Amino acid sequence: MTRPSGGSARPAGTANATVSTSGPQVTAIAAWLVPGAGHFLQGQPRKALVFAASLLLMFVLGLAFGGRLFPFQLTEPLVFLAALAEWALLLPRLVAAMAGWGRGDVVAITYEYGNAFLIAGGLMNVLVLLDAVDLAAGRKPR
Amino acid sequence: MTSHLGVMVLFAALVATVFGTLLRDDAPGQVRLGTRIFLGLVVGAWVLGWVMYLAFA
Repeated sequence: MTRPSGGSARPAGTANATVSTSGPQVTAIAAWLVPGAGHFLQGQPRKALVFAASLLLMFVLGLAFGGRLFPFQLTEPLVFLAALAEWALLLPRLVAAMAGWGRGDVVAITYEYGNAFLIAGGLMNVLVLLDAVDLAAGRKPR
Repeated sequence: MTSHLGVMVLFAALVATVFGTLLRDDAPGQVRLGTRIFLGLVVGAWVLGWVMYLAFA
């Protein structure tokens, strides 16, 4: 599926005339902000929907399982890396922080699972982001 | 949900969905790869669980 292009459209009448051509920077920021948004901008709405649904579900389940939103704490390298991974899902992370969620229920039986969901979700969004940027930069065929 | 197996299966399903979609462009290929990843994660964890149980029992 395609959508109308922005300012850098190819000549009318060609097969790719309606393919979105958002630049790599815009694509990267969109993909960082909302999972799947980068692929949506690159004219792949089906993939975008799957990424958004899966990664947002992982984030919500991570919080529901009692996972913790880690702070940037340089004295604890693993905590710092976990925080870095969680911030890869920017908008959900911001919303959760503002709502006061993700304090971490360390005595819950699912606490570690919650952390695994939050961290893995963020790390997978980095891969999704890089894939969208590759599409935007023309390094990967559509 | 507090079942270890249930949470692990849920995690495997979501990871398999993302990687299957990310690494293949055609729908049948995505389903095939997603299924392989899902089975690899679940069966791998099941086998590892039995190995640890037998090794340390």
